Amino acid sequence: MAKETGPSKKKKKFLTTLREQTQCRFCREGRQYIDYKDVEALQKLLTNRGKIFSRKRSGNCAGCQRKVKLAIKRARFMALLPFTA
Amino acid sequence: MKTAVKRLYEGLFLVDSALAASDWDGVLGTIRKFLERAGADIVSLKKWDDRRLAYEVDGKSRGTYILTYFHCEPSRVHGIERDVNLSERVLRVLILRADRMSREDIEKPTPAELHPEGSSMPVTEPSEPENSAADASAAEAADGEAAASE
Repeated sequence: MAKETGPSKKKKKFLTTLREQTQCRFCREGRQYIDYKDVEALQKLLTNRGKIFSRKRSGNCAGCQRKVKLAIKRARFMALLPFTA
Repeated sequence: MKTAVKRLYEGLFLVDSALAASDWDGVLGTIRKFLERAGADIVSLKKWDDRRLAYEVDGKSRGTYILTYFHCEPSRVHGIERDVNLSERVLRVLILRADRMSREDIEKPTPAELHPEGSSMPVTEPSEPENSAADASAAEAADGEAAASE
């Protein structure tokens, strides 16, 4: 068991040196408002069945995920995005 | 005595494409009438886009969107929505407050102006492949791709 932990520790050290994305995609752009008419951006946050990706999957921060949720629901009402597909 | 303050609103109207193609001035006139009845001062009124709808609305599968910005008293916005619900020419409307909008945002070119021929994009565009397991590394990779494309 002790033999196995050796290389994984090394790998971990290597991974921590890589810089991770520290902000979500909307925070990086410094956007205050996510427009429901921006269908192309919202489409990236939907599965091919029209469901909203989880925060873990989309990488959004909590605030942006709420803004995205509202924008997607508005777009769905205006038939810009599907409720289901 | 409190005077009513007029706020800036953004309204997106959805009308049938066939009707918009045959009687464009009539459609604009109808929308203008709704806004004027609510005492709104129209800032801009233009075609936003013509595209296939994500689902059928009143049996129509194509729609023309008309984007408008106007100043209106908050208590009278509801009247516009009621007029649209009673109207047979306008399928839907979404009115939101647009206080944050600057002059440039309002005058930003619409998809219809950017891509004059045909609809700019199909609604049923395939999105990112769906992962059955929530794979964090794949999510990061997809995020990176999206950032690169932007």
